[in-house]
Amino acid sequence: MSVSRDDFSIAFRSALLQRGGAQKFSVLSLIFLALIIFFLDIYGTKFTKPVRAFINDVVYRVTYLASAPTRFFPQVGQNISSFMDVREENKRLKALVEKYESLKLNVEFLADENKNLQKILETEYFNQNLSNIVLAKVLVDKNSPFLKSIIINKGTRTGILKGMPVTKDNYLVGRVVETNYLSSRVLLLNDLNSRIPVTLDQGAQAILSGSGSKNPILEYLPEDYEIIEDINVFASGKDGIFTPGTPVGKTNEKGEVDLFVDPNQLSFVTVNKNTQVQSK
Amino acid sequence: MAKISIINKIFNSGPLLLLYYLCISEIDTNLEKVFEIFTLNFQIILIYFWVLKRPEIMANGHIFVAGLINDVVMGFPLGISSLSYLIMIFFGTYVRNKSVNTTIASDWFTFFMAMIFSNILFFTLINNFSELSFSFAKIGYNMFFTLFTFPIFWLLFNIYQISFIGSRDA
Repeated sequence: MSVSRDDFSIAFRSALLQRGGAQKFSVLSLIFLALIIFFLDIYGTKFTKPVRAFINDVVYRVTYLASAPTRFFPQVGQNISSFMDVREENKRLKALVEKYESLKLNVEFLADENKNLQKILETEYFNQNLSNIVLAKVLVDKNSPFLKSIIINKGTRTGILKGMPVTKDNYLVGRVVETNYLSSRVLLLNDLNSRIPVTLDQGAQAILSGSGSKNPILEYLPEDYEIIEDINVFASGKDGIFTPGTPVGKTNEKGEVDLFVDPNQLSFVTVNKNTQVQSK
Repeated sequence: MAKISIINKIFNSGPLLLLYYLCISEIDTNLEKVFEIFTLNFQIILIYFWVLKRPEIMANGHIFVAGLINDVVMGFPLGISSLSYLIMIFFGTYVRNKSVNTTIASDWFTFFMAMIFSNILFFTLINNFSELSFSFAKIGYNMFFTLFTFPIFWLLFNIYQISFIGSRDA
């Protein structure tokens, strides 16, 4: 019995403290080091935050370069298949151009009318100008089973702050949760940690909560409210962060929200440098 | 002769390079797009196998750094993946010290124990010390698929070891 206990303690100690050969560090010393780094990062001091931001910037750039082959090969495949369809597409596009040419005049008229109406209403939306919009490229889109986020190539250098809303084609995508000098992390709407106030077509208010899967869900709806299919969901802007009326998605038959933008297909996004976030 | 030695070195570095590449690149083993619940933690399978079979080609320091890189890319608090990987190393080294010869079944069982402890530590620290929250269902699926794909990777790594590195079991 005592021999067996000795064996156990020898093997246990050896596993924790063994060094030599290729092993320059013992497991125990690295566990302590990892714990120190972990707590320094969690209870970050003024010193650790810039260090972490610097490490993030460097690693994100290397990740972008290292992932080039994984982006290149699917792109080549897509290019070949799209090249095959080019004649067909050309015909279709010509027809579309004609159609849009005729619509253009209508749009200009409506845009002018819209501006004038917004002037009358004195909405905040009208006061925003294009200098508040930053176009950013998605550097890393690693699909984690636990966290749904992307990394973009704009950071504090371009004035991006934590909390700023991120959109694609004017559809809401998420918000900035971590900023570095040259890059930022965007928490997507379907992440489990994402919560945003939304308004539905009929005026009902709710909270859009990420579920960790592709479709977020609606919480805190009015009592006896029944969700039906095809209800449009917009950001309500009640938190003062998201622009009121930014389209988010549509409800589906399961009562979840089908986002207008597929969170797995993002390559460029825009960050809205909302003045309310800046003042926070 | 020198050429053979260089080729051997490249083959020996293969698992470590794969670990670094998995941590730093966009490549992931989260196949949600194919099958909604299929996710697995390939890194811990890789680490456990090679620590058990050929610890000299998976140095502790490298695994620690790979963990830090993984944390940065995934957005976890720094050091948490390293801790999780170090627990796998600890179990792997312990099993290696205690056993004379290992089989796929014994490795599978000890891997299960190592993964349980490693994941408990990982999620306990994250739950208690960070603002991140996780779906327990996802964690369960991840552990399930990691455990049940272990024998497949065990066989593949074994073939790699026999073909390119040479067998030197404990």
